[in-house]
Amino acid sequence: MEINIDGKVYSSDGNETILELALRKGIEIPHLCYKSGFEPIGRCRMCLVEVIDRKRSKIVSSCQFPVKDGIEVRTDTEEIKAMRKDIIMLLYLKSPENTEVKKLAAQYGVAAPLRYVDDTSDDCILCGLCVEACKTLGTSAISMVGRGTTKKVSTPYDDESLDCIGCNSCAEVCPTNAIKTVDKDGKRTIWNRTFDLVKCEICGKYFTTEETFQYVEKSLNDDHMERICDTCRKKKTAITFKESFKEIY
Amino acid sequence: MMNNKKILVCCGTGCLANGAYEIYEKLKYLLSKERIVVETEVKPTGCNGLCEKGPVVKILPDEISYFKVSIEDVEEIIEKTINNGEVIERLLYYDTNENKRIVNHIDASFYKHQHKIALRNIGEIDPSKIEDYLERDGYKALRKILVECNPKKVVDEVLDSGLRGRGGAGFPTGLKWKSCAQQDETTKYVICNGDEGDPGAFMDRSIMEGDPNTIIEGMAICGYSVGAGKGFLYIRDEYQLARKNMQIAIESAREHGYLGENILKSGFDFDLEIVRGGGAFVCGESSALMESIEGKIGEPKAKFIRSVEKGLWNKPTILNNVETWANVPIIIQKGAQWFKSMGTENNSGTKVFSLVGKVKNTGLVEVPMGTSLRELVFDIGGGIIDDKPFKGVQTGGPSGGCIPKEHMDVKLDFDSLDKIGSMMGSGGVIVMDSDTCMVEIARYYMEFLAEESCGKCTTCREGIRTMLKILTNITEGKGEMEDIDLLIELGKTIENGSLCGLGKTAPNPVLTTIKYFRKEYEEHIQNRKCTAGVCRALTSYQIQAETCIGCGLCKRKCPVDAISGIAKELHIIDQEKCIKCGECYKNCPVDSIVRGGAIHGD
Repeated sequence: MEINIDGKVYSSDGNETILELALRKGIEIPHLCYKSGFEPIGRCRMCLVEVIDRKRSKIVSSCQFPVKDGIEVRTDTEEIKAMRKDIIMLLYLKSPENTEVKKLAAQYGVAAPLRYVDDTSDDCILCGLCVEACKTLGTSAISMVGRGTTKKVSTPYDDESLDCIGCNSCAEVCPTNAIKTVDKDGKRTIWNRTFDLVKCEICGKYFTTEETFQYVEKSLNDDHMERICDTCRKKKTAITFKESFKEIY
Repeated sequence: MMNNKKILVCCGTGCLANGAYEIYEKLKYLLSKERIVVETEVKPTGCNGLCEKGPVVKILPDEISYFKVSIEDVEEIIEKTINNGEVIERLLYYDTNENKRIVNHIDASFYKHQHKIALRNIGEIDPSKIEDYLERDGYKALRKILVECNPKKVVDEVLDSGLRGRGGAGFPTGLKWKSCAQQDETTKYVICNGDEGDPGAFMDRSIMEGDPNTIIEGMAICGYSVGAGKGFLYIRDEYQLARKNMQIAIESAREHGYLGENILKSGFDFDLEIVRGGGAFVCGESSALMESIEGKIGEPKAKFIRSVEKGLWNKPTILNNVETWANVPIIIQKGAQWFKSMGTENNSGTKVFSLVGKVKNTGLVEVPMGTSLRELVFDIGGGIIDDKPFKGVQTGGPSGGCIPKEHMDVKLDFDSLDKIGSMMGSGGVIVMDSDTCMVEIARYYMEFLAEESCGKCTTCREGIRTMLKILTNITEGKGEMEDIDLLIELGKTIENGSLCGLGKTAPNPVLTTIKYFRKEYEEHIQNRKCTAGVCRALTSYQIQAETCIGCGLCKRKCPVDAISGIAKELHIIDQEKCIKCGECYKNCPVDSIVRGGAIHGD
């Protein structure tokens, strides 16, 4: 099928969203809560585009809208640009001190009226990627809690969660570095819970929590996994490759 | 001569709060003890609509209706009206439009302009007795379609009737059913949205409480016509009585063979289950409601695929509002043509409104679509309390807009309200008089939505938060002129950028008040004055030296002792102490007290 984006025609097999097609073709659509591999959630609204489908125009979140034959997509109309700026302004009012948000504001030339900064401002823009990561991993230790302007991401009742394995995936996907993990003296503190860290058998560096290691073992049904960090695992794999190719050449 | 009498005691929520159940019990007790002069049956019924003048007691077949009945009146009612057929003048409805007392309530201005379809049985039957419903042609429509055995004909009839969803959006019900019926899936669901949450709205509640069987019948009819075997009633947690009455009705419908397996021996299976809502306003939004039934967080989903294709648990689902369901059985019974004969083109039938605010007759009103706002507020509502100047109405709850008096003749139907920037919504109508501050109204709705938005979309959550902050600033005298433009700009972004209906309509109260009452905003910002005297930071009271007679009434009424003065001499308000409650202003016998804006230096 053929899709027109900003006047240029692109072809698609139809099994993707507008944003996925745009990313594939290098068309810039800003987005914060989309990550390939996760179900698109459409929370941040940054990826809004105008879609003209059978002569009817509508504004949609491109991360969720499946491509459709013959549609015309506009990513840079004055209206879309103005909305994008407003959304960045709103994010700025929510998280005025955040480096990533500040960068975004500078990039898009947004000057937010500072007298409207949220009194309870913090770094979280509630994009929900952390929740999706936790859900996708199968732990679901954190979730969106509450509603309205007091909505937040947390563990049940803000207690330490028995489901959390301290894997840090939530913090790694966070676009604004809002999740503050503290790794200190062989311990990791995240979501009000402290975990023991595991040392790499090769380099001796702490690399993950005991719980994460056990969770992976259980998931892969393998209880003899080597306790080695990502870097050492890469090195080890490279050596194995080198050895096996030696015989061929 | 013996004759049978029926006493109907309104036990709707409003009347219950005013002691209706005690009246019902006392009537029952006394009549059981009484030397029987007349055979009398006492029944508790659903809401009669005129909640303001409750508790309501109706005596049949005499057609005598008593309002504001108290427990002390019970003996007199039995003695005079039941035993001797005498009318107790003082308990009759006083019609403020005609300035006289009225014996039968249906002759009263509040009732005579109404046309009851969805509310046809409410107030006439005991909602806990299926027999009462059957007596008034209940379940006839279901029986009829099961005998005729032609599901397509049912869908066509509903389509032809032009019935549009009464929950607010006004989507043609028949079209929804048709799309769902065409789906090949074997598992389909039917849902009743009873999560009514607009401030001031209680239409759905009254139907669920007062005539639960009509909802069950409507849903069963739909289930048969689209091929669904299971339905859910999503009822908000606060509606205890509605849940209780619905549960009783479901159980008795099962006992009588109108629900369950092999309904009326037709081979059609259909059953219902009640789901308690968790008290979130957003769960009235269809996709959030379905998420909630599934046990997930009540957040709306993108609807690029419609719920008639993939709804509850990804199965084809029909979701309609309580009032829509209540219209279905009677459409099947009397036909599409009959239904279309009421209302206007593209807006057939009637609509139930809950008329509240500064209006004389508050309550539940059902009128043909296309009735004007003027008729609703003045002919039925009896006009404004204390005959103060009328300012406007707010329709459609937090998603709706404010309509100024210039649009008083707007027709109450989906399309006409849409055209002037408001919306029908579920039917809440809040009447406002000259003492209402429109900026404060907008702020109130933003405060409501700041709590009740699901908080998913940045535009809705942060947009509303920011709007609320701006509006609070304005009402506290900290506004700036550029704020108005920022509100409009943000309003547009929230409207276009949010995912669901709640977000898309959330700025309406702000945008319509700016559109129609911009002057008030400007007055708040530039003159630091709230003409309505609502925003305390922008209000002050002063006693005029020329007219004060020194009667001291203001001094006595002031709750904070801010007024001083000697008898027959000029009194003075201490601005430091004054809390701007306006008691002095309201009570001054010579109107010597003037209301002004903020005093400089405030």
